[in-house]
Amino acid sequence: MIDHQTNVRQRSARAVVIGANGFVGGAIAQQLRNDSLPVLGITRNDVDLLQANAAKKLAGLLRTDDAVVFVSAIAPARNAATLMQNLVMAEQVIAALAAQPVAHLVYISSDAVYADAANPVTERSCRQPSTMHGMMHAARELMLKAEAKGPLAILRASLLYGARDPHNGYGPNRFRRLAAKGEPITLFGEGEEQRDHVFIDDVARLVSLVLAHRSRGELNVATGRSASFREVAELAAKSSGKSVEIRGTPRQNPITHRHFDITACLKAFPQFRYTPLREGLEHAARESAGVL
Amino acid sequence: MSAPIVGFAGLTHLGLVSAVAVAAKGFHVVGYDSDADLVRGIAEGRLPVLEPGLDDLARRYGAQLTFTDRVGDLSACDLVYIATDVPTDDRGQSELSGISALIEAVIPVLGPSALLCVLCQVPPGFTRKLPFDPVRLYYQVETLVFGRAVERAVKPERFIVGCAYPTRPLPATYAAVLGAFECPILPMRYESAELAKIAINCCLVASVSVANTLADLSERIGADWHEIVPALRLDRRIGPHSYLIPGLGIAGGNLERDLATVQWLAEATGSEASVIAAFIENSRVRRDWVLRLIHREVLPHKANPTFGILGLAYKENTHSTKNSPSLALIADLQSWPIRVYDPAVPAASLHHPAVIAAPSAIEAARDSDALLIMTPWPQFRTLSPADLASVMRGRAIVDPFCVLDADVLRAAGLSYFTLGAPPLRGAKDV
Repeated sequence: MIDHQTNVRQRSARAVVIGANGFVGGAIAQQLRNDSLPVLGITRNDVDLLQANAAKKLAGLLRTDDAVVFVSAIAPARNAATLMQNLVMAEQVIAALAAQPVAHLVYISSDAVYADAANPVTERSCRQPSTMHGMMHAARELMLKAEAKGPLAILRASLLYGARDPHNGYGPNRFRRLAAKGEPITLFGEGEEQRDHVFIDDVARLVSLVLAHRSRGELNVATGRSASFREVAELAAKSSGKSVEIRGTPRQNPITHRHFDITACLKAFPQFRYTPLREGLEHAARESAGVL
Repeated sequence: MSAPIVGFAGLTHLGLVSAVAVAAKGFHVVGYDSDADLVRGIAEGRLPVLEPGLDDLARRYGAQLTFTDRVGDLSACDLVYIATDVPTDDRGQSELSGISALIEAVIPVLGPSALLCVLCQVPPGFTRKLPFDPVRLYYQVETLVFGRAVERAVKPERFIVGCAYPTRPLPATYAAVLGAFECPILPMRYESAELAKIAINCCLVASVSVANTLADLSERIGADWHEIVPALRLDRRIGPHSYLIPGLGIAGGNLERDLATVQWLAEATGSEASVIAAFIENSRVRRDWVLRLIHREVLPHKANPTFGILGLAYKENTHSTKNSPSLALIADLQSWPIRVYDPAVPAASLHHPAVIAAPSAIEAARDSDALLIMTPWPQFRTLSPADLASVMRGRAIVDPFCVLDADVLRAAGLSYFTLGAPPLRGAKDV
């Protein structure tokens, strides 16, 4: 659950986005600039969080009245090496914040921290990651909660999509790109699995709200409406304007679903509306095509 | 043996209703409370609780009822019930200092053969620890149901009596009082009786949790839970009176207290009780059913709606708002204007930046974009769908407890949303 330190929206003196060059960090930095906030985007070129001097360097860039959004990660963490690297990065951020405390800290985490069986997922669901990536975020969350001083908000994002996502995993991004080229979309089984896909701009808008309300606690970033991969494929095909074949394949694995109960978000940000999947995919398609 | 005189210490909801019920069985009753203003008001016929039938019964048997703020007046009683309400904190845990202080005040004034009986909800182990002769000390399970308290107090299903020596016959005075109610009497050890009360409530919560779970599923798969319930009631293993009506989460305080008690007892003793946590989570999720529905069905179509809200009490026929779903909802509707009416709870006490206290149900509905019937008060059943359709700006009726007739509302062009059934959309502009 998340609660606000101020119910009236306030402007942060400055927002600092650690990992501003990435898909998520870039969208957040852009949203905050659109909000007319002074934004310091920190990339690996500015501070390499795997270097020994990272904490000192980062602390030198921070100010007491900053709101820091910590996005940077080597994602997905697939093995022990990337898990440990991600933890070192978090350790450096914590050391920097110890040297230079800030007004507000937001950490972008993942719904991978939850147990696979959690359904529907809420902020109260059992955190029991089954992947290295989930364990990485769970460990980072714990590190930040234990050691970072000051108000901390943790946003656990479901599956994100958007035109600039460099990943091309099974789901909206790959489907959209295939559809744009008029190539067939191949589903696992008949694409029955349902997942909650979040348009990248929605994460950025939520971060903006979290900063404005100095919110702290935990909030899932999910629309509350899960869609099957077949539905996503059909929407992606439709938004491409091309005739795209959608192929099923013999099912190899049991069907699993993930749904979210987003009541906490409805309570925290009653005016916030997630972008419907159709709209988000169309937006991403237009952006990819250079229309936007 | 002359008819026993029965005392009740603590004139809150439980004490007052119980005292009047015993008087109705022909006994002289002394009701004691240290609050002199409260006692004066009751003696003058101003009862501090709202219960159907209570005022009438208290008037009819008034000659047998004496109310006092002097604890010493209990010395004439053969049997004294400790009958104060035991409040709970935010975590549902009992605050026992009040009842302990009351017992401490009562014991010294009791006659040498007088019986003491704890009637309040106390945790297992409480009665046995009391500093009183165990031969004369009893615990009796109360099954007060707000809104139906008089009916249940006058015609109880059974008496569950906790004793130091369950195999011994009850004392004649106690047996005479309980016998007047002509129902089974089940003596058992103190701890069993104290846990029996909790067991009853856990069973009720279990039934409601099942109903909630399957009602939610019904809404999503096109089933109607209300069609299923009669079939369940005809099953002897489930029963005609089982709690199968879905709701907006547990409220009122007592059920929450018992769940909390089981949790801490299980934790303290190493007993597995994860199902209790599941009940609590189910209740928590159900509480926000209306909020989720509003966000799904109303807000996407109306940017700045006005909500009409009928009912503030946690259930009908009571003025209690403890853990009321309506108040919980209103706390989450701070961004939009609301028009509110409850027959017993004044809207003036609400914390909301744009609340209008309506003088009637139909006025609460006026100009609203959605009408939310949060408490199933009987008088709301008389609302005319045609009148609602004519005064409302929007078309959405959210009626979790099936107060109104869905088909008639739909015919009037209204859309209808209730627990356990798929939405009935009567118009496009919900």
